[in-house]
Amino acid sequence: MNELSPKERLDRVLAGKTVDRPPVICPGGMMNSATTDVMDECGLFFPEVHKSAADMARLSTAVQQRTGFENFGIPYCMTVEAEILGSEIDFGNHDCEPKIAKEYYAHSADVIQRDPKELVKEGRIAAIAEAGFAISRQQPDIPVIGSLTGPVSTAASIVDPMVFLKELRKDKENAHRVLDYVTDFLIEYARVLVDSGFSVITIADPTATGEILGPKMFGDYAVPYLNKLLDAIHAMDTKAIVHICGRLDAVKKPLSAIRGDAISTDAMVNLLDIKEVRDGGVVMGNVSTFALQLQTPDVIQQVTERLVNNKIDIISPACGLSTKTPVQNIAAMTGTVKYS
Amino acid sequence: MATEQELHQGLYEAVVDMDEDRAAELARQVVAEGYDAYAAIEDGLSRGMDKVGELYEQEEYFIPELLLCSDAMYAGIDILKPHIVRQENSERHVVVIGVVEGDTHDIGKNLVKIMLESAGFEVIDLGRDIKPQAFLQAAKEYEAEIIALSTLMTTAMPAMKEVIDLLEEKQLRENYKVVIGGGPISPGFAKKIKADAYAVNAAEAARIAKELVGLEEKVRQTA
Repeated sequence: MNELSPKERLDRVLAGKTVDRPPVICPGGMMNSATTDVMDECGLFFPEVHKSAADMARLSTAVQQRTGFENFGIPYCMTVEAEILGSEIDFGNHDCEPKIAKEYYAHSADVIQRDPKELVKEGRIAAIAEAGFAISRQQPDIPVIGSLTGPVSTAASIVDPMVFLKELRKDKENAHRVLDYVTDFLIEYARVLVDSGFSVITIADPTATGEILGPKMFGDYAVPYLNKLLDAIHAMDTKAIVHICGRLDAVKKPLSAIRGDAISTDAMVNLLDIKEVRDGGVVMGNVSTFALQLQTPDVIQQVTERLVNNKIDIISPACGLSTKTPVQNIAAMTGTVKYS
Repeated sequence: MATEQELHQGLYEAVVDMDEDRAAELARQVVAEGYDAYAAIEDGLSRGMDKVGELYEQEEYFIPELLLCSDAMYAGIDILKPHIVRQENSERHVVVIGVVEGDTHDIGKNLVKIMLESAGFEVIDLGRDIKPQAFLQAAKEYEAEIIALSTLMTTAMPAMKEVIDLLEEKQLRENYKVVIGGGPISPGFAKKIKADAYAVNAAEAARIAKELVGLEEKVRQTA
């Protein structure tokens, strides 16, 4: 039975409805799926593509075709937000995604707030929106996923992260102010993406982990702003996936309060545990990205089969893929889900 | 008037309680009373940071707490350091540390630096996105015994091997112990690239570093 289109299948899963089999996706952003194998083949390369709508549309189309992922995922990094908010970006090279070279502010108290509706006109947002718009028109049956950097990670990309983490205790007022501000900006960014034809939003917040923050601060800082963002995305009649990095043992309780339509986790997490904690909610993951980079297709097939057999709702890589991941391994993962 | 013991205990508590102002104030009292500055660091601040490391491993404290405790420790050290009576033959143990080329995530590296300094090491922090050659240069210049490499990214893992390969190529491998760590790093990977040790977290990195330079034994003897 293969009547559902990839878009219908993902929409149904995120709405908690039955499907023929799990979708196999890679949302982009932190989970960028543009690997050097694909770039070499299609002749479009990092870092040049990050600024061009036409190049992003072409590269994402090539990625989708070669890897077999059932979505398009843009952008390919986590620096779009921080760049607009003033931080210095190192755009990386052929093998390496853009990264933050220097955060703009030394302290949370220094952060100057600007109008989010103006901010979304800046930087690469227009190019990303245009790329998504073009692909969604060309391929209406395959979902275009827009990837946002979560509130805590965005805040720690504009304020020196060592200082910001301390100010979660020492200057709570300003830490909250910055988080509220970046969340308002992320909401407007999400709105631009949704208006441009992106059908699902993924939020990855790698600084907001249980391992870094501990359960109390995860509950105080990560959860409320994620939920504010999620509620706003839901108000746009759009579903949202939340990716949480690292071990989750310390934060199982606050995890249940996150109002994402699916929770995606790293490879060391047993997704069945998370499903239980979230009362049977949709879980996504978690094929080890180390395995994807370093193992052979037959090992990837076994790992993927295990997830499918465990009835994981959405199959995806567990974390950010290395750009050096062999495309054969990714194809083994997507093929296993589609044809098993 | 506080006794030396009381001041040491106060410094210990100031670190554990993340109280930077109190640590500074007590350190100034140590100086004013003419007590031994080194003992105040060792038995007060550093012992406090050991406790913090324990609380971190027990998941009582997390990274924000660890950073604030270290601020309190450094506030005290900054005041006490100029008053340390240095013995000519006092031992120096130098660690060169950095995030390897291709990666800019440095929270983990900073934590390791904090724990190494609180364990008595002199730490040369090269920062993030550091070329292999820079590690070798710094190690030579500062007469380091240990080179500590960190990364959070799988894509930067080969850069760790490059540092070790370069040491071998220059026939300097025997001169240094190489310790590696970071999110994607495993003991297996450390073995594969012939690092001397893998540290799972900052507290363990400090313990391993002590063992590698033979400091641990010495501490036990004097304790």
